Amino acid sequence: MAFERKETRVGSGPISYFVGGSGEPLLYLHPAAGVGISKPIETLAQSRTVYMPVTPGFDGTPAHESIKSMEALADVAASFINVAIGKRCDVIGASFGGWEALWLAVKHPDKIDHLVLEAPAGVPAGGKGGLPSDPAELRKKLFAYPDRAPPMTKPMEQVQGNRRMLDHYGAASLADGTLSGRVAQIKAPTLILMGSKDQIIPPETGRYLKAAIAGSHLAYVYDAAHVIESDQPERLTRIVASFLERGEAYIVNWGSSSASAVPGGVRR
Amino acid sequence: MKFNFFHLMPWPDYPREPQEWPVSNKDFDAERGRQLYAGYIDTMAYAEECGFDSIGCNEHHFSPYGLMSNPNLIASSLVYRTKRANLAILGNLVPLLNPIRVAEEYAMLDVMSGGRVLAGMMRGIPHEYIAYNVPPSDSRERLREAVALIIKAWTEPEPFGWEGEFYQFPSVSIWPRPYQKPYPRLLMSGTNEESVEFVAEHRAKLGIVLIADLNVARGNIDHYYKTSRAYGWEPAPEDILIGHHTCIADTDEEAREHMRKGLEYFHHILMRPQRSAQQLVIQKTRYYQREGSSDRFEARLATLRARSLEEQIESGSIYCGSPETVVAQIKRVHKALGHGVEQFTMKVGNMPDKVVRRGMELFRERVQPALKDL
Repeated sequence: MAFERKETRVGSGPISYFVGGSGEPLLYLHPAAGVGISKPIETLAQSRTVYMPVTPGFDGTPAHESIKSMEALADVAASFINVAIGKRCDVIGASFGGWEALWLAVKHPDKIDHLVLEAPAGVPAGGKGGLPSDPAELRKKLFAYPDRAPPMTKPMEQVQGNRRMLDHYGAASLADGTLSGRVAQIKAPTLILMGSKDQIIPPETGRYLKAAIAGSHLAYVYDAAHVIESDQPERLTRIVASFLERGEAYIVNWGSSSASAVPGGVRR
Repeated sequence: MKFNFFHLMPWPDYPREPQEWPVSNKDFDAERGRQLYAGYIDTMAYAEECGFDSIGCNEHHFSPYGLMSNPNLIASSLVYRTKRANLAILGNLVPLLNPIRVAEEYAMLDVMSGGRVLAGMMRGIPHEYIAYNVPPSDSRERLREAVALIIKAWTEPEPFGWEGEFYQFPSVSIWPRPYQKPYPRLLMSGTNEESVEFVAEHRAKLGIVLIADLNVARGNIDHYYKTSRAYGWEPAPEDILIGHHTCIADTDEEAREHMRKGLEYFHHILMRPQRSAQQLVIQKTRYYQREGSSDRFEARLATLRARSLEEQIESGSIYCGSPETVVAQIKRVHKALGHGVEQFTMKVGNMPDKVVRRGMELFRERVQPALKDL
């Protein structure tokens, strides 16, 4: 699946983004590692047009001077939906992007149809979890299966720059007390996905969000650490595709009758 | 007429109307749970002393509706607490389970109890399919194949293999085999034409609960007789079990007061959370394959919810009153339906256990003797 790199502008500055696939639009908000096209994204792009904006300041792009918080980033994402997509859409947010997606759902509910959160950051977890500063330790906690991890193709300068942007957006602690108090306002059908082996975003986060967001669903992806898309791409794709297709009715097993309607023919 | 004492084992203290299914279990009080199991099992065993012919268990998942996710566990706790009463296991939601395991556990219970098992082969209410992630659209065919396999497992004298659509087992030979020969009598639920035909085909006893309209129930019973004859057998009255929420108290007023509160909890707390999940299943899958069945199912539950206590008594949906009042109510329903087994659910919602026990004693002293000739 080919993704094309494009540029657009929102009020606060330029936005670089990748777009690929065909079908109803799907906004993907990337994790702190920056943009990467994973197997689940490629599979989803078989039936959806996937938009992946590069958060200002990430992957060598310039930061926007006025945007200095996760809350403000959500305003940028909402503007991006307006200018690049043109209508409300489903949203996936992974880790750092999940934090941004939570703010987007709180502040701009009219922009979001379904919301999928992959190991979202931003919710205090009672001191558990967190990002180790040692790179080797970090890698161990990101991936249950390092051999499945995407190759490190980004220049070291970009990797370090991405890390610095966490401080820029006040996101280094992974906790956002203001957001936590407001997630109960979210009305979008929400699926919260947690890796069963995630030590960066602990189960407490998933439980908190499940209890706070009325009608949300929490699911653990078995044998995945923090980067679920890399550790368990098929399992992640199966549940996300099913949820995006059927909404809350994804909890009902449709059997084989609708297998062809799900990307990759996966069944649930 | 024979009498079955049926228990749902409800959680009686849920503090508010649950809004979603499954119901969060974060507030489950384990010590309270321990006390409830002990008390409920005592009450179920007491049913034998009170003259009931059988004691009924069932299977439900993921809500305060019932604490019996495995009815066989409860039945096994009753085996050595009782001597005479049959164990009517109106659960084992067969399409959701491993049929070989069901065959084995029923056979164990049958041998342990000396042949007192009535083996329910239930399809389960729609939302239970979400609990075990089984396609609801396959429910009927899974039930059909599972029952065939279970009977095979009970009756084949030599190890055998099974190569089915839903189940494949290369070699089966269960130990023990059932005590009853050739195997325990089956019971299935039949509340519409589609399911009644299935019951008749399997020569099973017919169970009908939560009656909203006696004429509809009568129609299902007539259809059961007619279809059974077409399959070459003739059901007896004792092959038909009719279930009622029942409150027997010293006076009509007292009974109505208790029943009113119990039903309020039953419909608004216990039944509430599964409504939305149920609708998901019946509207979006082929759980009901025949046109109109799903509408009728939802309409029946809505009717029961909306009726006043007096209307429910009048329509034959519940029994409620002094022993003499209840005797008259049972006679009226029996005249309409001609059934041979009456099932009482006496723990209605959060009705206090002492009220349940008083009702059981009144049943022994003044209801059962007055119905000897039925």
